[in-house]
Amino acid sequence: MRAVFAHMLRGFAVCQGLLLAGCLEAVPPDLVNALESVDHDLVALQAAETAPDDYAHFIRQWIPLRARVQSDDDLVRWPWEANDLETELRRLLEEGGGTVARLHRERDVKRQMAKDKLTRVEDRLRLIASKVDAIDGRIVLGGKSVQADLLVKQARSFYDHQDYQRAIQAADQAGRALFVEASVLSKELGRYTDERRIARWQTQAQQTVDWSRTHQSTAIVVNKADRNLILYKNGRPILSYPVRLGFNGIREKQFQGDGATPEGRYRITAKRGRGQTQFYRALVLDYPNQDDRRRFVQAKKAGHIPSTKQIGGQIEIHGAENELMAQTLGCVMLENQHMTALFERVQAGTPVTIVGALTEGNAVALALSQLDVRKDET
Amino acid sequence: MKKMTNVIVPLALGAFLLAGCAKPPTEQIEAADKAVRDAQQSGAATYSAQDFAKLEASLAAMKKEVADQDAKFALLRDYGKVEQLASSAKAEGERVKGDTEKRKEEAKAGALQARQVAQEAVKVAEDLVASAPVGKDRAALEAIKNDVEALKASLNQVQMAIDKEDYPAAQTQAKAINDKSQAVSAEIQTALAKVGKGKPSAAKKK
Repeated sequence: MRAVFAHMLRGFAVCQGLLLAGCLEAVPPDLVNALESVDHDLVALQAAETAPDDYAHFIRQWIPLRARVQSDDDLVRWPWEANDLETELRRLLEEGGGTVARLHRERDVKRQMAKDKLTRVEDRLRLIASKVDAIDGRIVLGGKSVQADLLVKQARSFYDHQDYQRAIQAADQAGRALFVEASVLSKELGRYTDERRIARWQTQAQQTVDWSRTHQSTAIVVNKADRNLILYKNGRPILSYPVRLGFNGIREKQFQGDGATPEGRYRITAKRGRGQTQFYRALVLDYPNQDDRRRFVQAKKAGHIPSTKQIGGQIEIHGAENELMAQTLGCVMLENQHMTALFERVQAGTPVTIVGALTEGNAVALALSQLDVRKDET
Repeated sequence: MKKMTNVIVPLALGAFLLAGCAKPPTEQIEAADKAVRDAQQSGAATYSAQDFAKLEASLAAMKKEVADQDAKFALLRDYGKVEQLASSAKAEGERVKGDTEKRKEEAKAGALQARQVAQEAVKVAEDLVASAPVGKDRAALEAIKNDVEALKASLNQVQMAIDKEDYPAAQTQAKAINDKSQAVSAEIQTALAKVGKGKPSAAKKK
């Protein structure tokens, strides 16, 4: 009996040992760690912000599964029990791993796109700024150049903070602002590329030169685009000097105080030497002439000029006021030594023709061609 | 005796059935729901995106557990886990809301500080323009005036972003305005250095 009992006891112990050995962990710890790592990767990728749906999809599965893993019921299982928890975890690991890889790729693509767009608008901003400075056209843009500049800076800031989506948005906005800048320049200064306008200016300048030849006298031609003044004598150029224009000189004068330099055919009405002008010598022009008055009245009638505006006057060719204070509000200004030379060679009645440009390849036209507005469409 | 048994057995069975029909912890579920909604309204989806996503997932898990228990035979229902999940979601919701409010306040403070710095930089540029003499760089000065006006107008955009609680955008805008204002001030100072400090001339008809 004792032997039978001992035999039974041994059998029970063996069975128990076998059963215990057959108990399996419900989930391998490595699998849980791998999923923790996927979650960590998604957090590092800022998936909740950049791909909220993807992150929600993962986390809505991971949280209940993790709760099951932590639950005592699922810690061990019998070998013959189906392990759906492990199956689900493995499926989620595969899916989550795929999401991490895809988000990595998407982020790389987005970063590259942001970088490309940012580089493009930064280059474009620099190009426009340099061309605008070269033709003194900044005033034409008003505050538009600042808006574009601020957007480019914001795009850079977002990019540096790895917020590529907003960097792309800001760069796109900057691209549009730069497009507007180039369009404004093109519209406002387009007459410098207008063949018919240039031909008309050429005719005016040629008539002035011809007058000089016919009358065996002097005549002046001022070219606004190329910022130069040429003195002709007997139809031949004898002096050529660089000039400065009004602060808004690149534009066509419309009314008093606009800072623009008028274009047209004028004559010197008076020579003012030392003590007669605030500047270092001045040659007073007959602006506004009949053509100017007619244009002014028409523009006012058409509503292009506010009704309160006056036509202005006292347009001169003059030297600098003094070495420190050299200003012009719409006149043509020369360096004082050039003014001396010019002053001595002209007299009241000398024709002065001020034109926008004399060649199709003038400085403004060249700058505008380099700003080809189509390039702004990023 | 038999009569007594006839009374007691149905009573005991009824009591057992009543005790066995567990009900979902409605109040706790609603409290958890409210905590998550409060967190969302505080801006958690923006300022604590990961925590909020996890919070929503916890709430979804709780609701699934409720549905699972509801689907069971009445006597077998057990809402103990639901209670535990609801309690945890409520506590987590309150924590996320608190964290969100803190982060939002920090972001707001950062944006306000950046706006203040930008306003000061614009003011410096404005003062410099006002004090600049009319001189050789008159064209530049007129253009700079336009720039300063545009910078002043841009400060409104910062305020609009703050009003919309888009503090990161407000901060980057303010930083850009500050940088540009400093560049403009440097440009004016360069122009001033060139022309010196002469007196502005009287205005002339032109």
